[in-house]
Amino acid sequence: MTSVAGRTAAHEHERPTRSNWTARLRTRVGRTVPPGQLLPDRQPVYVNSWIYVFGALTLAALLIVLGTGAVLALGGPTWWHTSSTGHFVNSLHLWSTELFFAFMVIHLWGKFFMAAWRGRRALTWITGVIAFVGSIGTAFTGYLSQSNFDSQWISAQAKDGLNSVGIGAWFNVLDPGQMLMWHISLLPAAIGLLVVLHVILVRRHGVVPPIDAETTAENAAIAEDPGDGEASS
Amino acid sequence: MAGHYVHWGVIQISVTNLVIILAMLVVFALAIAVPFRHGDEDQDRP
Amino acid sequence: MTVVRRTPDAHDFPTRSYDLVKEFVVALIVVAVLTTVLAAVFSSPDEKPITLSGWARQAPNDVVATAAGELAGTTTSAEYGPPYNNAASGQVLGPVELQKWAGVRIPVDSANDLVLTPLRGVGGDQELTSALATWSSASASQQQEWAATYADALAAAPDGNPAAVRASAAFGPVPVLTAKFLQLARSGGLEGALDAHGNFYQGDATRGLLLLSDGAYLEDQARARNLGGDQWGMMNETGNYPGQPWMWLYTFWYQVKPFSTSDNADAQVWALMMVLTLALALVPFIPGIRSIPRWVGLHRLIWRDYYRRPGRST
Repeated sequence: MTSVAGRTAAHEHERPTRSNWTARLRTRVGRTVPPGQLLPDRQPVYVNSWIYVFGALTLAALLIVLGTGAVLALGGPTWWHTSSTGHFVNSLHLWSTELFFAFMVIHLWGKFFMAAWRGRRALTWITGVIAFVGSIGTAFTGYLSQSNFDSQWISAQAKDGLNSVGIGAWFNVLDPGQMLMWHISLLPAAIGLLVVLHVILVRRHGVVPPIDAETTAENAAIAEDPGDGEASS
Repeated sequence: MAGHYVHWGVIQISVTNLVIILAMLVVFALAIAVPFRHGDEDQDRP
Repeated sequence: MTVVRRTPDAHDFPTRSYDLVKEFVVALIVVAVLTTVLAAVFSSPDEKPITLSGWARQAPNDVVATAAGELAGTTTSAEYGPPYNNAASGQVLGPVELQKWAGVRIPVDSANDLVLTPLRGVGGDQELTSALATWSSASASQQQEWAATYADALAAAPDGNPAAVRASAAFGPVPVLTAKFLQLARSGGLEGALDAHGNFYQGDATRGLLLLSDGAYLEDQARARNLGGDQWGMMNETGNYPGQPWMWLYTFWYQVKPFSTSDNADAQVWALMMVLTLALALVPFIPGIRSIPRWVGLHRLIWRDYYRRPGRST
């Protein structure tokens, strides 16, 4: 039986046996992000604009949304109707959500005008869009969980849209219990997963270089491939 | 009961929502226009 | 000839020191402070829900008319179709009938579930018991005729007031049933009778909300607050509170033709928004759209410092 120190000295951890799933997963996970790039303390010189802080602001706002939501969960779904503390926490939850959406959309505008999907970053863009749409759905179930007039009206209206395409047969907006559970468990988990993927992808590829900081190669027959570069159309 | 609304043709929008959207546009413009001075100017390290 | 530009590796550029964690902590503090200030200054809306007894007190004629409509099978829920019943086949997108294909998975029999079953739970009222017996022993077409006739009479009465409708055998037991229903609503027990249905716990408000939506009062209250569908209501909140500005495009379609006059508007708008959302997700792959940033040129401002550097890679 060899020691960890012995095996490390012999670099055996870099050559895992193919049949060891743990070793293969570790190697795979280790390669997700270039070494030292998960939390780099340096950025390319072109990362030099206030627009770059909006991703961080969005993430920060999301944490406040989750935190205030957790406090609301402590008191239960109707706590905020009878407690002024609860009402204040509800207000924090509402305004952090408004800020979350505002920062996220500004982040989206910035990323669009920077064409940030270039250089194999299509999946970063796509996870961002899905997180955006998923956030809208999460907010929607939140509005349905207010147990007040707003919830009554929104559910009465929304059911028609959802029923018209068959979704309402399973996703019943008139059922506050179901909506609350989606709001506090399923949807935040999905958003959380998407955000983690999105951020890992940013760290993996690095911040996209400026438009025209590109080398131009003429190639007679290359098909357009947004995975590799940007076609001229 | 109802808040304040702006009507313009088929568009109806609450003053609050309009303010929010305009504020976002202003913030976006500022984010791009305002210089971002980062302290450490040492470059050239890969 | 297709010119393919390669985006260089981000790691091939000169770098400068950048503190991501500090930036994030600062962002967290800024957002926390902003949130606290906004919450303290503006608070959040909390308009009390419409209780069924509140509805009965504020708009009793509406309650009676709604109950008559449920018995006649003419209310929105009674004629809805899936997922509640098979009275209609629902909205379509050309040959695609998603509403119908989803099936009746939340069965609600408007007359029985929303009116008669709650009434049957009321004990010790001989007049009600007798009216229910009369109703039950009649044929379906007789029931429908009684209820529809009474509903018409109510609609013709000033203010829809049942007191202004002269008694008639043509209405059968419907005037009694609807009057008793109004009493039940006033008593405050109707939510429980509708939504608990046999259980102790209520969690599912489907029946109560369908009943409330069948009346005019809920929508009247909503429209008074600019929350109606054709008022861009999807974007709005009660009072002067911020609503959901991000819903602007979804609700926009409902305001314009052909959607504003279409029977299938909900399905059509949903389909359109799904297509647009997919397009947004796939922007990197859509020729033309993905080139808009280059044409607009905002990036020249964003990266102006970089573009001014001598000897930058082109």
